[in-house]
Amino acid sequence: MTGWHLDDDTLRRYVERADSLAEGASAEQHLLSCEPCRTRVNVAASVTELSVIDLAMVWDRTRDAIEVPRPSVFERLLRGAGLPASEARLVAVASAFRGVWLTGAAAVLAFAALAAAMGHARGAWLFLVVAPVVPCLVVAASYDPWMDPALEPELVTPYPALRLILLRTIAVLALALPAVLLFGLTVPGETAFAWLLPAVGFVAAVLAASTWVSPLRAAVAVSCAWLALVSLLATRPGSPDAIIQGRAQVGFLVLAAGSFGIFLLRRRQLRQLRPWR
Amino acid sequence: MPTASISLRDAGRTFGATRALAGVDLDLKPGVTGLLGPNGAGKTTLLRLLATALPPSQGRVRVLGLDPEVPAERTGIRRQLGYQPQEVGFPRGFTAFAFVDYIALLKEWTERAARHAEVRRVLDLVGLSDLGAKRIRAMSGGQRRRVALAQALLGSPAVLILDEPTAGVDPEQRVVLRTVLAEVARTSVVVLSTHQTEDVAALCERVIVLDRGRVRYDGPVTDLVAQAAGRVWLADEPDPAASVSWRTGTGRYRNVGGRVRDGAEHVEPSLEDAYLLLRGGAAEDEPAEEVAS
Repeated sequence: MTGWHLDDDTLRRYVERADSLAEGASAEQHLLSCEPCRTRVNVAASVTELSVIDLAMVWDRTRDAIEVPRPSVFERLLRGAGLPASEARLVAVASAFRGVWLTGAAAVLAFAALAAAMGHARGAWLFLVVAPVVPCLVVAASYDPWMDPALEPELVTPYPALRLILLRTIAVLALALPAVLLFGLTVPGETAFAWLLPAVGFVAAVLAASTWVSPLRAAVAVSCAWLALVSLLATRPGSPDAIIQGRAQVGFLVLAAGSFGIFLLRRRQLRQLRPWR
Repeated sequence: MPTASISLRDAGRTFGATRALAGVDLDLKPGVTGLLGPNGAGKTTLLRLLATALPPSQGRVRVLGLDPEVPAERTGIRRQLGYQPQEVGFPRGFTAFAFVDYIALLKEWTERAARHAEVRRVLDLVGLSDLGAKRIRAMSGGQRRRVALAQALLGSPAVLILDEPTAGVDPEQRVVLRTVLAEVARTSVVVLSTHQTEDVAALCERVIVLDRGRVRYDGPVTDLVAQAAGRVWLADEPDPAASVSWRTGTGRYRNVGGRVRDGAEHVEPSLEDAYLLLRGGAAEDEPAEEVAS
């Protein structure tokens, strides 16, 4: 150690990190061997209340940048729609919102809409079969235990399962309905929009049936029943639209209201919560 | 602070015609309690009852003085509960950090900075601090078990239920996990099921042996080991009368139970010896009881 010490100006600039790289390195070299100057640095930092680097904070930010997964496009959309960040994450992690699922559903819809738009005789039938069941299949996929393998740790958390299921259902509908509507625009006739109420009815039916069987089984059963009904009508003369017109629409409304009522009444028996009977 | 506790009275659980658990009476206080028993003995069923993942078919369960059959009280229990199931499925594409962060959200950690700090704390505890960004699918079996344990440790729960937490974990990490669990057990009720008797011997002050859904032994580990004192011996030949007998690395036969022959060398019994003796050398897997119709 020499008799030389950092002058006040150099010390201040070092503490404020306003010095040059070379000046800082020189000051640091001196500080390594000079206890009195190190004491002066501490005093200067505390007296002037300068923001000394919080290494823990810096380390946390570094780990955040590495470890915290970037929100998906869908999650960012949910946040943009006003959902709190934490709930947007809970909704977005469901398997149903993974690209492969959405791409698959969109491809099937696009195919059906294209067939209908080209005026193929069976095109309208195909769209009628596919459009109403896509939302209920994706809803089921958003909370089925088979699709959601983290079920058991999720089950014993305090977060209400009913809320999680409804959040995911609403998110699915918000995503699926506009997409199907968009494809529907290419379909001639009333089929383009008349499937909406059946779709809502089927989603409600799946929620209600999930209190007895697994959501995916419920959705497959509803889809098969719908396919059988449309196939049966296809063998008869007349327009396929008959099933989604007039009184039939009232029937779908009743199905939706009744099923949702059953779902709320039997929510404790949800298949998701099947152990707790 | 009230003492964490669990009590079961005549608790039982059936699945259809199969009785998985019958007439269990237990009182559990802070500390580590080990559950031993063959496959199908009812260990997982008992743990799921305690974790509110399954309701009892009969009897009464109270966790922290709360009744899990009352929805509001069940939620109260879950706020103070950590549970590591036997099998944890991980959503596709998740990293360790993302999975634990997801469970933390469900555990009502809504404030981002605090949640991330807690996720890091538990990942650090289980020795995964450097693997937070690694995809779980690319991890070894032991690392996945540690991810599952990390989510159970979130929030320093008053009740920690662990189903085979050390299965597939390497010896060094098992020692680390024992240290972590011993620390947690200073204030929390920790119940773990395992097939590793050395974990129970090293960690648990109390052991419960289940057999066909019933409690076969409940008491201090040392007392169970003491029951085998003088009944474990080495000989040049296996003893047909012994409960179990196997050839050791030295070429001699370790006999547990039976009549000690002249010239046999007595050895200190281990917990495994005592457990095997208690079970009488029965086959490892046992079918659960059928419920009388």
